[in-house]
Amino acid sequence: MLFDSEKPSLGREFADGEVILREGDVGDCLYVILEGQAEVVVDDGGEEPLRLAVLEKDGFFGEMSLFSDYPRVATVRALGPVRVMTVDKRGLLRWLGDDPTLSLRILLKMVERIRLLVAEVIRLRKALRERGDV
Amino acid sequence: MELTSGARVAVIGGGPAGSLSAYFLLDLARQTGLTFQVDLFEPRDFNQTGPPGCNMCGGVISESLMQKMAAEGISLPKELLLDAIDSYVLHTDSGAAAIRPLQEEMRIASIFRGAGPQGAESQSPLPWSSFDQHLMQLAQGLGARHVPRRVRQLVRDAEGRLEVHLQPARGESDEPEEPYGVYDFLIGCVGLNGAGVRLFEELDFGYQPPKTDRAWVAEFYMGAEEVHRRLGHAMHIFLLDIPGMKFAALTPKGHYATFIILGDDVNEELARQVCLSPHVRELFPEGWETPVRPCRCQPRINIGPPVHPFGDRVVLVGDCASSRLYKDGIGAAYRMAKVCALTAVTRGIAAEDFRQGYWPACQEMDRDNRLGHMLFSMDGLMRHLSFFRWAMVTVIREEQSRTDDPRRLSSAMWDTFTGSASYRHIFRRAFHPLVLWRLCVAMLRSLLPAGRGR
Repeated sequence: MLFDSEKPSLGREFADGEVILREGDVGDCLYVILEGQAEVVVDDGGEEPLRLAVLEKDGFFGEMSLFSDYPRVATVRALGPVRVMTVDKRGLLRWLGDDPTLSLRILLKMVERIRLLVAEVIRLRKALRERGDV
Repeated sequence: MELTSGARVAVIGGGPAGSLSAYFLLDLARQTGLTFQVDLFEPRDFNQTGPPGCNMCGGVISESLMQKMAAEGISLPKELLLDAIDSYVLHTDSGAAAIRPLQEEMRIASIFRGAGPQGAESQSPLPWSSFDQHLMQLAQGLGARHVPRRVRQLVRDAEGRLEVHLQPARGESDEPEEPYGVYDFLIGCVGLNGAGVRLFEELDFGYQPPKTDRAWVAEFYMGAEEVHRRLGHAMHIFLLDIPGMKFAALTPKGHYATFIILGDDVNEELARQVCLSPHVRELFPEGWETPVRPCRCQPRINIGPPVHPFGDRVVLVGDCASSRLYKDGIGAAYRMAKVCALTAVTRGIAAEDFRQGYWPACQEMDRDNRLGHMLFSMDGLMRHLSFFRWAMVTVIREEQSRTDDPRRLSSAMWDTFTGSASYRHIFRRAFHPLVLWRLCVAMLRSLLPAGRGR
């Protein structure tokens, strides 16, 4: 066991480097990190996959393909031992209908991610302009 | 009648309904740019073992609540967790069947509401901590103030606001004449097992508490190794033909096993009968005797709807209002605390606001509980028919042995005991034509010569 085997633990455990969800898969659940870290990577054809983000405890992932028909857009794998809990799509959609504050919380997280993405696009554009590529 | 910035809010009772009401109210206030002063009145110290720190409950957090809390970002520290439940084992007079979920994931937790059973203090320092204390700390983290005093009386003043009067503190002989505080909004989360309900019955809005029954809850010390060896990580459910008993459950909790009996006003004699049943005894170590006086209680549980659990500037949440029948009381408190907070912040705190925003959620839960009553009544009728119980166990075993099976009866039973779904959903699955067909076939087989041997 990777965590303290004497203590009971919730969720499901993944070993370092183990794939939790794979790019291209059909999504049927949301993942919440209970313990440890996970990295979001995409295969850009290079030797090593390109790391997009590192997610910490209480962070969630996999929500994009829950709210759309698109498959998973990136791979998420364990960065060191990690423990995650899944939230089923059907249950989540039902709770979101009953509970506007839960919808708001997920929306706020997604807005935060869009804000980070916009900041990243600006940073990259600036870097390209400085190199004279734009 | 709206909650504006600077409003004073009193939450009477610091169990899950009280702490979560305070937490969600302050969380919504933060999101909407409001500031409230929230006082949480709870005289008990949840860090004490035995009755002084206990909230009299089985202490299981359902799969659905665990998932909701995870999505909400409310994590459960490891020291709260006594065991993670991976399966249910159904014990009947006609055999046993294990029910496992399809996913390989632990989603059900057993916890102590207070600091653990009487006598546990000898294991100091305790390797676990209190769930109720954790929830209170979450509310305090958002700014709620804990007032560790007992409330004596609630009085509405000339402006319609509510005065909170306290019992004399230890060492004081006279009751204080002045109110402790005057509040714009009062949330009652007083449960059903103290004198708190009376405070709200005496107010002017016509509240009547829900109908109740008595359960029986006991903590048995067996030692962690024995608990794990005998019970595994499974919750054991007993559907036995014992008059007066609806069902019983044995839950692993570290060094302890919690035994809960639900039925029609369960008393000590019925509890003794259930404990002596061979189906129960086989799960305990050989020669083990039920302690003469284990840490036990007979809490009142909610089995019917309340009357008018809200008025101008006042609302009741949790067991003293609407809760789920025989299961997931903490999950019900979570949902209703959220609806209460949302109504107060977005609609207002007049009786009419609660009628439109809070009461429909209570009525929905109460309607669902009526279906639950029907399910348990049908089970009560069927329990004398051993061939029905045999058929039920047989169908569950068949479902569990196949991975491609939709497992409708198993999932209906799983949700009945885990509290993961409403009785409406359970009803739909349990009465699916295919389930009924399989049960009929199994019942016919049981009536054939040597049928039950196969």
